[in-house]
Amino acid sequence: MTTSPAPLTAMEQFGATTNRAGRLTMIAGLIVSLSGPLYLVLFADLGVTATALWTAFAAVAGTFFIIWLVEPVTYYPILGPAAMYQAFMIGNISNKLLPSAVVAQETLGVRAGTPKGSVTASMAICGAAVVHLVSLFIFVGVLGTWLLTLTPETVMDVVRSYVVPAVFGAVAVQAIISVRKLRPVLIALGVALVVQLVLVPAVAQLAFLATGICVIATIILTWVLRPRDRAKLENAAV
Amino acid sequence: MTLLAASPGSSTDVLAVANMPLLWASALGVFLVIIVQTIIYMRAARRAGPDIGMSRDDLSVAFRSGAVAAIGPSVAVVIVALSLLALFGTPGVLVRIGLIGSVAYETGAASIATGAAGAELGGPDYTQTAFAIAFFAMSVGGAMWMLATLIFTPVLQRSEKKLTRVNPLLLTIVPGAALIAAFLSLGIAEVPKSVAHTTALLCGGAVMGLAAFLAVRLRRSWIREWGLGAAILLGLVAAYFADQAGLGLGIV
Repeated sequence: MTTSPAPLTAMEQFGATTNRAGRLTMIAGLIVSLSGPLYLVLFADLGVTATALWTAFAAVAGTFFIIWLVEPVTYYPILGPAAMYQAFMIGNISNKLLPSAVVAQETLGVRAGTPKGSVTASMAICGAAVVHLVSLFIFVGVLGTWLLTLTPETVMDVVRSYVVPAVFGAVAVQAIISVRKLRPVLIALGVALVVQLVLVPAVAQLAFLATGICVIATIILTWVLRPRDRAKLENAAV
Repeated sequence: MTLLAASPGSSTDVLAVANMPLLWASALGVFLVIIVQTIIYMRAARRAGPDIGMSRDDLSVAFRSGAVAAIGPSVAVVIVALSLLALFGTPGVLVRIGLIGSVAYETGAASIATGAAGAELGGPDYTQTAFAIAFFAMSVGGAMWMLATLIFTPVLQRSEKKLTRVNPLLLTIVPGAALIAAFLSLGIAEVPKSVAHTTALLCGGAVMGLAAFLAVRLRRSWIREWGLGAAILLGLVAAYFADQAGLGLGIV
């Protein structure tokens, strides 16, 4: 690798182009992705009420709003501004885009956060996007739709009924492994057991807020019960 | 409008609605937007390359290693996506699971939203109306991530240094705890539904844990990538047998 100092102009131009195009395409993606569901609830005559939508949104926001705020902040140092607009539209950031960016940066021996690191991450994500779009289109869009017509009704019913717990079991374990800290796991498990198996059966009206309550209670308890001494804290942050 | 069985959206033929042409158009529109973005970015990188000391070869290497690294995860995502077609239809799965979102958040949002509508995701009362509410909530939830990105990226660009002074606990442990709490809560909420649901939950979790353990033990990171797909499929197989044994909803 050459070590010539990066002239700001080229990088500034890259930044300006990707900023403008990134923001515009992301806004376009946002609008296009909302157009389908908006059409469904507004015009498809499915008897969806505004109250039902607000309730559903409030319940989802109660659970995920912290993640909405924190995730962009967490990924920014690794991805850099340009790749941010790619990553949050292509999706599957932690399981696909981040590894792609990191592998490319390692292959070229460039550091994240430098101009080369940012351009490398962007190019790697472009490569990942192409592979991802093609495989999704062929295997899910075309073959998947065909597969649906072949699958026996019983199998479809089994999948429809039980895929949700299978996903949550796997994803919960994945989340536990990625944090690798016993304390928040024990707090979350205790809170979730109490809320779902004691509170919800007692007060059925709370059922749809239960997960939001779990998340907020776990965050507060994790913060209150955090390790206080400095060495442990730094250890915990790694 | 009457309150009889024929009231709009009370049919459980979710796929009739989920595969509507307009939803296909919206899904393909998202594909198109990402293609346009990818082309613009590649051209910008090519223009900037020489001045920051990256040759065309370097850029190709970056593109290629990104593409190759994405093959495993992409196929893994495909398997997960296929298993959710019965719930969300092809266009919904393409956009929500395949693109913008991820299986964890989107299934979580859909489950919470259908719960708020008084139904169960994939349950006997998962009607067209329930699907519309779930799909809407997933999409608006995904839009919040995009909105946060649009708002925060310029802010972070200006204040990159300040970020390092934020308590590290706030940026690592707290969101981690939030994620664990969300998915443990969603998972435990499946337990009272039936033994077959619990079987799927435990089997999915066990396979995921085993995959992560083997990935570390055998130093094969691809095992981790495939863990999620394998966990969902084996969870479904276990649920099938549990249902057959009379421990579930009595489908088989």
